Amino acid sequence: MREALDDALVVASLLFVAAAATAAVLTRDPARQAVVLSLLGLGLALLFTVLQAPDVALSQLAVGSAVTPLMILLTVREVRRRKRRE
Amino acid sequence: MNGWLVAAAVLVVAGLGPSLWGAARGGAGRRVVAQNAATLLLCLVFLLLAQGYGRPSYVDLALVTSVLGPAGTLVFVRLLGDEIDAPPPGLRLLTPLVAVGTPATLVPLCIATGPGRALLKLLVVGALLVAGGLVTSRALRHA
Repeated sequence: MREALDDALVVASLLFVAAAATAAVLTRDPARQAVVLSLLGLGLALLFTVLQAPDVALSQLAVGSAVTPLMILLTVREVRRRKRRE
Repeated sequence: MNGWLVAAAVLVVAGLGPSLWGAARGGAGRRVVAQNAATLLLCLVFLLLAQGYGRPSYVDLALVTSVLGPAGTLVFVRLLGDEIDAPPPGLRLLTPLVAVGTPATLVPLCIATGPGRALLKLLVVGALLVAGGLVTSRALRHA
């Protein structure tokens, strides 16, 4: 019973990651894409945790949920500002 | 039968799934609200998993999520600023989610943990979640 439950958790996390990645690909606007990307980071952290790798999940959380979206958003802002100036 | 893991699985399917749906469609405000709800739910899932697997050290993940989740939301609010229509749709669902979800998860966990350092950690996570919910919903309302 316990194995079945573990498998169910892994399958649910995998499906969530697949859905989030597909959604991130299908979103066209980079700023909105960053939001979906942060959800993908959270999903990956969950997947690593149910696969019993909490250390990997910890670094994934830091990178995926905060740093990557921040860098994308800063870049988008800078690009837009330059476009406006031209 | 491990009730904690069942609860975590239910929260993943019934909580994280809909928030992904919310984040994948609609305007910027709705997406940021959904992202914030997802971090809250993921934090609760981590707490349940830590209890379900019998590994108290997994609570650290929830601790990190409860700090980084609101921080990420504030980054989005700051940088998406003018694109967020105030108040964004779905924001009124966020406060009940924090007010109901956090105690509903934390109280059974605290009872199962018993007094000690682990209990203190759980209470810190709970306080961070509530504070994060308050700060982010305030920021979103005035975006």
